[in-house]
Amino acid sequence: MAKQLFEWDYSSYPGASTYPHLFKPIRIGNLIVPNRIKYAATEDNLNGRDGFVTDAGVAYMRERAKGVVGGLCFMQGVYMDEKRQGQGYVGQAACWDDKFVPGLKRIADAIHEEKAVAGFQLMDCGRVGAVDVEYGHGPSAVPQRLRIFRPVKEMSKDEIKEMIQQHVDAARRGIEAGFDIMEISGIVGYLVSNFISRYTNRRTDEYGGDIRGRMRAVVEIIQGVKAVCGSDVPLGIRLCAEELLDDVRGNTPDESMETYKIAEEAGVDYISVTLGWQESIYPVISRDIPMGNWIHLAKRAKEHVKVPVQMAYRLFRPDLPNKAIGAGELDQWEMCRSMIADPLMPKKVLEGKEDEIRHCVACNLCLARLFRDAPMTCYINPVCAHETNPEFADPQPAEDKKEIMIVGAGPAGLECAYMAAKRGHEVHVYDKRDNIGGTLNEARKAPYGDDELWTCVAYQQKMCELAGVTFHLGTEVTEDLISDELPDAVVLATGPEYPEFPGGPHANVVNLLDVMRENAQVGEKVVIWGNRKPGIGCALYLAKQGKKVTLVGREKTAGFDVNPSFKWRYMIYLRQNGVKAYNDCEIETITGEGIIIRTFDGYRIPVACDTIVNSDRAANEALKKVVQSEGIELFVIGDALVPRNLSSAVHDGYRIGMRI
Amino acid sequence: MQFDAEKEIGKVLSGLRAAQREIGKTFYRWRQVALEYAGDGVEPLDVGLRAAEVFGKDVGKQLLPRLNWLKGEAAFLLNLGRALANLWQVDGGVATAEKGEKPTEVFIECTRDPWPTWAKEFDVPMQEVALTREKMLKSVLEDVSVFFNIPLDIEVEKAIPRGEGMWRIRLFKKEE
Ligand SMILES: Cc1cc2nc3c(=O)[nH]c(=O)nc-3n(C[C@H](O)[C@H](O)[C@H](O)COP(=O)(O)O)c2cc1C
Repeated sequence: MAKQLFEWDYSSYPGASTYPHLFKPIRIGNLIVPNRIKYAATEDNLNGRDGFVTDAGVAYMRERAKGVVGGLCFMQGVYMDEKRQGQGYVGQAACWDDKFVPGLKRIADAIHEEKAVAGFQLMDCGRVGAVDVEYGHGPSAVPQRLRIFRPVKEMSKDEIKEMIQQHVDAARRGIEAGFDIMEISGIVGYLVSNFISRYTNRRTDEYGGDIRGRMRAVVEIIQGVKAVCGSDVPLGIRLCAEELLDDVRGNTPDESMETYKIAEEAGVDYISVTLGWQESIYPVISRDIPMGNWIHLAKRAKEHVKVPVQMAYRLFRPDLPNKAIGAGELDQWEMCRSMIADPLMPKKVLEGKEDEIRHCVACNLCLARLFRDAPMTCYINPVCAHETNPEFADPQPAEDKKEIMIVGAGPAGLECAYMAAKRGHEVHVYDKRDNIGGTLNEARKAPYGDDELWTCVAYQQKMCELAGVTFHLGTEVTEDLISDELPDAVVLATGPEYPEFPGGPHANVVNLLDVMRENAQVGEKVVIWGNRKPGIGCALYLAKQGKKVTLVGREKTAGFDVNPSFKWRYMIYLRQNGVKAYNDCEIETITGEGIIIRTFDGYRIPVACDTIVNSDRAANEALKKVVQSEGIELFVIGDALVPRNLSSAVHDGYRIGMRI
Repeated sequence: MQFDAEKEIGKVLSGLRAAQREIGKTFYRWRQVALEYAGDGVEPLDVGLRAAEVFGKDVGKQLLPRLNWLKGEAAFLLNLGRALANLWQVDGGVATAEKGEKPTEVFIECTRDPWPTWAKEFDVPMQEVALTREKMLKSVLEDVSVFFNIPLDIEVEKAIPRGEGMWRIRLFKKEE
């Protein structure tokens, strides 16, 4: 008999009529899930190094459980071996002993308290595991292409049996902890996918060979886990629809579809469609990949299996999965990063509050942090991983209500404005521009998806509106204005200053913002001065117009301010667009033909150009002294403090807004 | 300010040549240290071969992210051959790689090799120079073969340190 754990009635919510396919029930095994929403398993590095669940981890999950409004809420994949070869992240939750059950139960309980379905995931990280030990394990000892990963030892048959048993034992513990649905993670190069791929499985025994042989270990895991799940706890698996490993002779898409059929035959109740490995050379989830790009893979999966098909991967807007589900191409909408950025994302969809969603900008900082053994952080959501800290999660009304002048309506100023206003302050935002968004107005014009960054400003604008922030656009803040208004506090969020070009003033030198606004004359051969993100964005913007662009800057590598999980994309795009970069350099002089670069060790290189774009930025000291001399409380945030990126602007703004 | 191209290029080139000379000297200085520590009972050739193995393994690992199978076996082999030729090129030698008659072979030719000259300065026998190069190239292939699941080997047909005027090396896929 199928059962539903919690009653939900969505009929009175606007989202249920706008997106009818998202808010209708589905049967998975013997479980009725009231909607089509799933928070996909997400490693967060918030557990102790010993694998025990922490308060921070529970609080993180509780927020996401609220977000799925009765749908599936999966905790991160757990590792299952005491030797820790399967552990891929220093703060990954462990489940190799019964002693972990009480901590895991706290997560299941928190999810249930929010009336959501608690999902448990089994995840041996295989080839990309062994984060804290010398050797990883896998079906074959295929060397690592990326040196950050440990060498792999080939598993003996006994070790394979032991690994299968570990899955079974961990599943039993998950059920004891109170989880309602079980999942095996076979994504991105973890152990299950290592067995399946011809790239990493070279065995000649029964666990290798053709696709059925390479699936044998997976089938045995499914059968073993299924036996402990019984008929009450549905079991699913995440499997690659395409490995994107053709450069190293991985599986064909046809073989991948064969794995779906074999998994279904073995007894899974649903399949979650994934694609790509951490080692793949193709981008899958970064901002340069359009939303909805991969839905065709879910459709293909549905053509091969009868069990429900779930999928995530850049489905950041509800209309995409709603349409796909309606068209029979997908059954359930998974989300990971959208709900890192805004844990209540689907709840807001249901409530018809889409303009209150803080959207993920697909920068992959979350992943970059995990790979560097740091707790999860979100570029755009300052509360992420601070859910247990009331100062962040639930900023209290200010004791002392103030009149606050915020100078600058860019992302830093806006973030600070709504937070301070929400806490009861009277907030006035000034900007000499006629519109909000600051330099993001220009930055969004860079190619490869940067327009998506504007979602941040759209969200902040709505928050400001709800919090009652007063705007004074087209108004330059002067010394006189400050003395006239005499606010209790001033927040300088004026954005950066653009210092004079190092070669001195010159007719051919134009400012980055003018270029992006199309207010400057730009020739065909362009040098961009400044090799951080703004310079890169502008270089690509101009190169896309067919111009010959050279990037020159002081940083040792171009884009050192871009997080490593995205930076590699920019490096490829610079190459593809023929942009030559000279790093660790100064511009020594401007000549009649162009410029002369001087490398850090004194070599000189002439570069012909007709235009030089200055993208160099510095802290903005304007108005600081005026505010201080009036004895007014002063805060400086965003690029005005130190030129950095959108994330720093948002985080600075939030923190000052919650403390002022 | 005037830019004197000849002067600037000359400066860059002399910097490069000086750095290249240091490559060989540094290796042979370390060889001397290793022999001193190894003591009397150890054959210098064995030390050289072991060093070549370590170098080769590391170069092999470095190549893994740079090679790919996207254009098939013949293109893969040619790219690998070029990468091996480039090992001489960065040291200040002159080397190329060309397709062989069979699609499963590539020939690497080096017509100028700085290593014998460096070796002479340190009284290293030419036989060791020839054998260590061969060992290094074979060691490069170890991880590459396993990673791309293709059994690879090399055969030295000619060697400068053997007085044959050039290196000619056959890189090939072993018959399974
Ligand atoms: C920070 C982070 C942690 C993740 N951890 C897991 C995990 O523990 N198990 C898993 O199966 N997938 C994991 N994934 C993959 C996601 O569940 C999801 O499939 C992927 O991010 C694509 O979905 P999205 O575009 O909605 O982010 C993780 C992804 C991210 C970004």
